[in-house]
Amino acid sequence: MSTDRRPMILMTPAMLWLFGLMVVPCVLILVLAFFRRGVYGGIEYTVTLENLALVFDPLYFKIFLKSAGIAGLSAAIACVLGYAAAYAIAAMPRRHQSMLLFFAVLPFWSNYLVRTYAWIVLLNREGLIVNLARWLGFEGELPSMLYSEQAVIIGLVYNYLPFVILSCYAPLSRLNPDISEASRDLGASGWTTFRRVTLPMTVPGIATGFVFVFVLSIGNFVTPALLGGGQFQMIGNLVYAQFLTANDWPFGAALSMVLIAVMLGLLMLQAVVAERASGRKGAQNG
Amino acid sequence: MADRNTFRLMLIILGVIFAFLYIPISVLVGLSFNEGGLPTAWTGFSFKWYGALLENEDILKAAGNTLIVAIFSTLLSTLLGSLLAIGVEIRRRNGKWLETLIFAPMIIPDIVLAIALLSFFSLIGVKMGLHTIIVSHVVFNLAFVCAVVRARLKNFDWSIVEASADLGASTFTTLKRVIIPVLMPAIVAGALLAFTLSVDEFIIAFFTAGAGRASITLPMQIFAMIRFGVTPEINALATLVMAVSVIALALSQRLNKGGLPGQ
Amino acid sequence: MTQSFLSIKDVSKTFGTVQAVDGLSLDIRKNEFFALLGASGSGKTTLLRMLAGFEDLSAGDITLEGTSIAGLAPNQRPLNLMFQSYALFPHMTVAQNIAYGLEMDRLPKAEIAARVNEILEVIQLGHLAKRKPEQLSGGQRQRVALARALVKRPKVLLLDEPLGALDKKLRSEMQLELKRLQHEFGITFIIVTHDQEEALVMADRIAIMKDGKLLQVGTPHDIYEAPQSKFAADFIGVMNFLPVEKKGTNFVGADGSVIRSESVTEIAKNGAAIAAIRPERLHVTGTGENQLSGEIAAVAYHGLDLLLHIKTPLSDTPVISRMTADEADGHAPEVGQSITVQWSAKDTHIFPN
Ligand SMILES: Nc1ncnc2c1ncn2[C@@H]1O[C@H](COP(=O)(O)OP(=O)(O)OP(=O)(O)O)[C@@H](O)[C@H]1O
Ligand SMILES: [Mg+2]
Repeated sequence: MSTDRRPMILMTPAMLWLFGLMVVPCVLILVLAFFRRGVYGGIEYTVTLENLALVFDPLYFKIFLKSAGIAGLSAAIACVLGYAAAYAIAAMPRRHQSMLLFFAVLPFWSNYLVRTYAWIVLLNREGLIVNLARWLGFEGELPSMLYSEQAVIIGLVYNYLPFVILSCYAPLSRLNPDISEASRDLGASGWTTFRRVTLPMTVPGIATGFVFVFVLSIGNFVTPALLGGGQFQMIGNLVYAQFLTANDWPFGAALSMVLIAVMLGLLMLQAVVAERASGRKGAQNG
Repeated sequence: MADRNTFRLMLIILGVIFAFLYIPISVLVGLSFNEGGLPTAWTGFSFKWYGALLENEDILKAAGNTLIVAIFSTLLSTLLGSLLAIGVEIRRRNGKWLETLIFAPMIIPDIVLAIALLSFFSLIGVKMGLHTIIVSHVVFNLAFVCAVVRARLKNFDWSIVEASADLGASTFTTLKRVIIPVLMPAIVAGALLAFTLSVDEFIIAFFTAGAGRASITLPMQIFAMIRFGVTPEINALATLVMAVSVIALALSQRLNKGGLPGQ
Repeated sequence: MTQSFLSIKDVSKTFGTVQAVDGLSLDIRKNEFFALLGASGSGKTTLLRMLAGFEDLSAGDITLEGTSIAGLAPNQRPLNLMFQSYALFPHMTVAQNIAYGLEMDRLPKAEIAARVNEILEVIQLGHLAKRKPEQLSGGQRQRVALARALVKRPKVLLLDEPLGALDKKLRSEMQLELKRLQHEFGITFIIVTHDQEEALVMADRIAIMKDGKLLQVGTPHDIYEAPQSKFAADFIGVMNFLPVEKKGTNFVGADGSVIRSESVTEIAKNGAAIAAIRPERLHVTGTGENQLSGEIAAVAYHGLDLLLHIKTPLSDTPVISRMTADEADGHAPEVGQSITVQWSAKDTHIFPN
C-alpha cells in the first residue's frame, strides 16, 4: 500500500543517525577487541584473542569481581530501601500518593555530579558529619569517610534509589487490596500475608530495580572517581584509563565487551522475569 | 490496633527515606548561601558566591559551551525524534529490531556509548570538539524526544489526518498544519527534556570533547573542580545547575501530562 | 442515454482473508440523497472510504461524470467525507476548521471569509465561530463537521453515520436539517446508516448491503412494498413471517391452509419457504384471499393505531396486526379474545427460506 512507504521518509533521518552514531560505533568496539595493540599505542590489524584473555587475568578479573560486588551490594541496599519506601507510599491515602512519588523522584532529575558532590560535602574531613560528631563530643582525629568503598556504595544507592522506588511502586499500586485481605481471612498473619502474597506478586518490580541499579553501577566511573578517591578502581575506571590514559584501546574494547555482555545478559533476564510475572497475572485473572 | 501501628511504621519509613534523599542536597543549597562559605558555621545569608561565579572565566566559558551544545543538540534531536515518532506511529506495525534500535539509546550505559563514539571519531579521523559532543548528544536525546512524542500519539485521533487529506491538503501540509500543531505540547516537552539531559550530561561529553580546554562543558568543569574538594563556589554552581534541571523537567512534565518516559 | 453521474463498477475490497466489499456495482444520480443501509460489518464504511480515496480498490473502477477517480489521492478527489467521529481539528476554532478546506483550494482570503460566514449562518453557529471543538456539544460538533465538508461544495458528500452519536430527539431534528441542506446546496449525498427509519425518512433511494454485496436498490417505497429478499423485508419496517411449504404450485401454511400470493420470488424446488406480510395489511374486516385465526395475546398502542399480537398455529411467534383507530372503533379487541384477520394475495410476499 502506498501509505506504508510514506512514514519511512519521516523515520529515515533519525534511523540513519542512530545507525551511524550508535550501531556502527558499538560494532566497532566489538571488532576492536579482537585486534592487537600497536607498539606506540595505535592499533595493529592482526586478529587476536589476547585482549579477551587479559580481561580474565587475575589482576583485572579481581577488579571485575569487586565492581560486581559493589554493584550488587548497592543494588541490594537500594532495593530494600526503595521497596520499603514504595510500600509506605502505596500505604498512604490515594490522593497523596502521586505527590509523594513526585517528591521521591525529584532528586533523580537533578545533575548526577551535583548529587554525588553533595555527599562529598557531607562526608569530607571538614564535612557536616564530622562536624556533627565533634559537636556531639567526639574528640581527636576522626577517620574520613570519604574515599572509601562505603562512600562509593552510599553514592550509588543515593543516586539510583528513586529509580527503584518507581519500579517497585508500579506493581504495588496495582496490587488489588482484596488479595491481601483474602489471605488474612484465611488466617495468615500480616507478615505471612506480605511474605506469601504481596512480595511474590511484586517481584518483577524489584527485579527491574535491581537489574537497572546493578547495570548502571557496574559500569559507573564517576562515583568511584569522586567518592572512591584516586586509587580506587572499578571496571568503569579501568575502561576509562585504557582509552584516555593508557592508550590501549583494544584492551579497553575487550573490557567494554565483557561489560556489555554482562549488562545485556542481566537485562534479558529481567525481561524474562517480567514476562513470566505478567503471564502469571493473566492466569490468575482468567 | 495493629493497623494504626503499621501506618505509623510507614510514616517513619517515609520520613527516614525522604531525609536520606533530601538532606544532602539541602545542605548543599544551604551552604551556597552561607556568607562565610564554610560548613562549620553559619555566618549569614548572602549571594556572594553566586556573584563569584560570574567572575570565574572558566565557568563562564564552560557555561557558554554547554549552552551551545544543549541548544543545537535539542534542535536537532527534537526535529529527528518528533519525525521518527510520527513515522513509527503511522506505520504501527514495527518490527522488534526497529523498536530495539529506538529504545536502545535510552538504556545503553553512558560509558559504553562514550567509548564507542570516541573510538569511532578517532578512527575515522574526525577532529573532536563541541560539534562531536552535539552529534553524540543527539543520539540519546532523539530517543527521549521520540518516546515523549510517541506517548502522546498513543491516543491521537488519526481520523483528523484523513480529514485533512480529504479537505485537499497534501501530506506535507497535513504534517505542517495538523499533526505537528496538535503534537506541539508533547514536542516542546520532549525538547525541554532533551535540553536538560544535554545540559546535565557528563560522560559522553567528557569522552567526545577532544583534547584541551577549548570545548569543556559545565559538567566537565564541575567534575574537574570537585575532584579538588569542596568550595563555596561549587556549592553555588551546583545549586544553580540543580535548579535549572528541576525547573525545566517540571515544566516538561506539566506540558506533557502523559509523564516522562521511565515514569 | 445520459451518462451516469457517480458510477461504481464491480468494486471489490479484500483485507487479508476478509472480503469487505464483493463485486459491487451501483450508479448514483446527480443531486440524489442516497442511503447505504446494512448490518454491522457489511462493508458500508469500506465502500465509503474507497469512494473518498482512503482505501485502494482490490478490483473494479469508480467513475465520476465519466472519468475514473480510482487512482486519485484523497486530496485530489472532488468528494468530501464527513467522518463518523467528526474528526474536527482540536487546535483550530470552528471558523478555522471550516476555512481549512477552502485554504487548501487557495481561494482568496476575502472569499474564504465570506463563505465561512455564509455557512456558519446556514448551520446557525455564527455565535460560536471562535470556539474550539472541545467547547462544543455533540450536536454542534456534528454541524461543524458537516459545514466543513459542505463549504467546499464537493460534487458528492459522503456521510458515515453522521447522526450516530446524537440522542434520539436531536437525531430527528438533524435528519430534517440534512435533507434541507442537501436541497439548498444541490449536492449529491451518500449517507451510511444502520437505522432503517432514518433511511426511510431522508433518502431518495436506498441500497441494502449484506456481506459486501448489494441486496436491493430502490426508493424507500419500493423496498418497503416490494422487498426482494427475506433479509430486505426484515431489515426495513416490521414484517410478519409465516413458514410455508411449497407443494406443486401451492404454498401451504403450518396448519394446512393454502396461502395465496401474487408476488413470488423464484422458487424452483418444492420444500420450505417463507411468507411475509406487513402488519398494516392484515385487516379485521373486508375480503382478502387469505385469512388466519388466533387468540389475542397482547394489545399495544402505537400512536393512534393499535398493534394486536395474535397467537396462531401458523407460526411460533405471534403475528402482528396493525389496526387504524377507525377499524378499532367498533371492535375494541381485548386480550384473550379469538380473532380472525384476512389479507389480500397481492400483499403476500414469498421468499425462499
Ligand atoms: N482495515 C481493515 N483491516 C481488516 N479488515 C477490515 C478493515 N476495515 C474493515 N475490515 C473488515 O471489513 C468488513 C467490513 O467492514 P466495514 O467497516 O466496512 O463495515 P460497516 O458496514 O461499516 O460496519 P459498521 O456498521 O459496524 O460500521 C468487516 O468484516 C471488517 O472487519
Ligand atoms: Mg462503519
